[in-house]
Amino acid sequence: MSVLINLKNVSKHYGDFCAVKRIDLSIIEGEVLCIIGPSGSGKSTLIRCINYLEEYDDKGIITVNGITVKKGNNLKNIRKEVAMVFQNFNLFPHLNILKNVMLGPIRSLKVSQSSAKKLAYDLLGKVGIRDQANKFPYQLSGGQQQRVAIARALAMKPKVILFDEPTSSLDPEMVSEVLDVIKELAGTGVTMVIVTHEMSFARQVADKIIFMDEGIIVEEGSPDQIFDDSKKERTQIFLKSVLKA
Amino acid sequence: MLLLPMDLYSKDNSNSNIVVGANIGNVPWEFQDSDGSYIGFEVDLVSRVGEKLKRKIKIINIPFNGLFAAVQSGRIDLAISSINITDKRLESVSFTQPYYDSDQSLTVLNNSKIKNLYDLKGKIVAVDTGSTGDIWATENNEKYEFAEIRRYEGLVPAMLDLVIGRVAGYISDIPALLYYTKDKPNLAVVERISTGGTYSMMLRKNNSLLFEVNDVLIEMKSSGELNELHKKWFGKFAAKNSSTIKILDIPKSSGKLNLNLTETFLNKRVFLETYPMLIKGFYITIQLGLLSILLGLIWGLLLSLIRLYSNTLLRFVVKTYINVFRSIPLLVFLIIVFYAFPFVGIRFSPFNAALFSLVIVSGAYFAEIFRSGIEAIPKGQFEAAKALGLSPYHTMVDIILPQAIKIVIPPLTNNCINVLKDTALASIVALPDLLKQATQAQAIAANPTPLIVSAFIYLIFLLPMILWVSRIEKKYRSGKQL
Repeated sequence: MSVLINLKNVSKHYGDFCAVKRIDLSIIEGEVLCIIGPSGSGKSTLIRCINYLEEYDDKGIITVNGITVKKGNNLKNIRKEVAMVFQNFNLFPHLNILKNVMLGPIRSLKVSQSSAKKLAYDLLGKVGIRDQANKFPYQLSGGQQQRVAIARALAMKPKVILFDEPTSSLDPEMVSEVLDVIKELAGTGVTMVIVTHEMSFARQVADKIIFMDEGIIVEEGSPDQIFDDSKKERTQIFLKSVLKA
Repeated sequence: MLLLPMDLYSKDNSNSNIVVGANIGNVPWEFQDSDGSYIGFEVDLVSRVGEKLKRKIKIINIPFNGLFAAVQSGRIDLAISSINITDKRLESVSFTQPYYDSDQSLTVLNNSKIKNLYDLKGKIVAVDTGSTGDIWATENNEKYEFAEIRRYEGLVPAMLDLVIGRVAGYISDIPALLYYTKDKPNLAVVERISTGGTYSMMLRKNNSLLFEVNDVLIEMKSSGELNELHKKWFGKFAAKNSSTIKILDIPKSSGKLNLNLTETFLNKRVFLETYPMLIKGFYITIQLGLLSILLGLIWGLLLSLIRLYSNTLLRFVVKTYINVFRSIPLLVFLIIVFYAFPFVGIRFSPFNAALFSLVIVSGAYFAEIFRSGIEAIPKGQFEAAKALGLSPYHTMVDIILPQAIKIVIPPLTNNCINVLKDTALASIVALPDLLKQATQAQAIAANPTPLIVSAFIYLIFLLPMILWVSRIEKKYRSGKQL
């Protein structure tokens, strides 16, 4: 098992405020990593550094598949390998569902129209909304939109998918349909990094859990270690407060 | 009521002013001396008329082709400006007996190879819009094969373009040109064109003032006063048989008298005669408008992208550009482009000068509209495009612009309408657009119908666009999902 993503001494400042503090982290190929922690703890910022949506501070370094994540030509190659699913879906409202999924492969992977179309239909089938292919995003429910976003990410055939709170914008009754899709993906061998507030989901799907607070990794371990046998008081307090709710 | 000027009450009182319209600058007939007072042959003439009729003369400056509508609408009582009596004009207005025999002339640069009218073959010739020279040049266009007849609003702008070299010759009244060129060695009047014109004072049809003024002319001719005026302004007495000496009849119209409002402002005969000219002008207006819009949109889009995404220096340059060109009136810029740029070696044709000015200025407005549209697109759209590995170009073309343009369609369309309307300003640089053709047609026919018709053409063309925009705007306001 080889290391796919490596973070060394990664920090991110917004002016004087430090959102992420000197993180060291390795993610193994095929691993499902869930990042939990209170709001504002730097979870989202951290994963947005991995595909360089956030420019992390110069002294740190991130590599994906051996390639350094920095401004320049390599970034295009990194983003072919690293897909992302956003909290607010960020589907393209002027394109129909099919074209939303086709665009990435056509533009970035230079796939032909016809094979992109076939791929898109396959993936929409996989997330259970093949019949909505010709509708526009605003005609779909939140849960359906997020499943399209997952299909769009999968269409890039990425090595890793970053999920940035994928269910936080959803109405409660739609959370499970999205989580079910992600759970299915967990069995396919794709590497996933998931920022989430869904504790039971995290416990069920993750190979490894990271608990972050105030920009640092407080504790990491297997789901059982974190949820049943936490060594850190901050982790225990956090889990107690969220699990009680 | 008490604040109204007195002469409104006493419209027909013989003590009221006589308002005279004159195209000031038309040497030696009516022009300004160094302290700005009006002088000239015809200025002296109307002053004498005022003295004899014991009425005050008030002269107002109106461009030549505006005199016809001004007389007919009653804005002025009397028009002077070396106006030739023509049959066509007599159908719409009245003239006193003539007081000067004139011909047309060809003026060129002294050092040019052009020595006569035949040398103008394939060359651009300048005339005054709707003047006798214009009418003559239009009628003789086939014989002399001019490349183009370019129409100016008077002697000064035409002379500017003759000196710059944009036109090869200028056809206009011979007395004015002999007077104008006498102290300008670089210009020469090389040919007299016998058109047999006679100058007279123009009045509204059936104005009783016509007979009073005509009586004064009879008196001045018999006393020799008019001949004295000739001596004063031309340095010699008039020829014996000329209309400066001979007492003549008031010229009569061959056609019937048309006096009511519709016959004056929407004359069917004038309409039928002039609408081919208007259609030609409309074609140029459309060409100029659509090309300006197309290039203005591209230029504006480019500016907005530089303004948003380039380095600090370029951003500053573009920001300054946008602010500057939103502050300069288009007309001012157009005149600079047309008349000042030649002195630094940039010589645009009228069409290109208008196109250039419209694109440069409208581009600044289009840029701001595009910018507001792009800035209205949520950050998440940019991030999703980035995360899919899209290049900056494809991010713009595939994702951002289609959404941004849809948002700004109403202001974009409004700006397009403005550009189409602003094409009318091009008539100032002698482009034969719809407005120019209409002013020319109304001067030739001495009837404002072509102007009214041109207004209708603009209206028919632009009104559907205006209605369409308001419908879209209403739809957007009602909060429909984009």
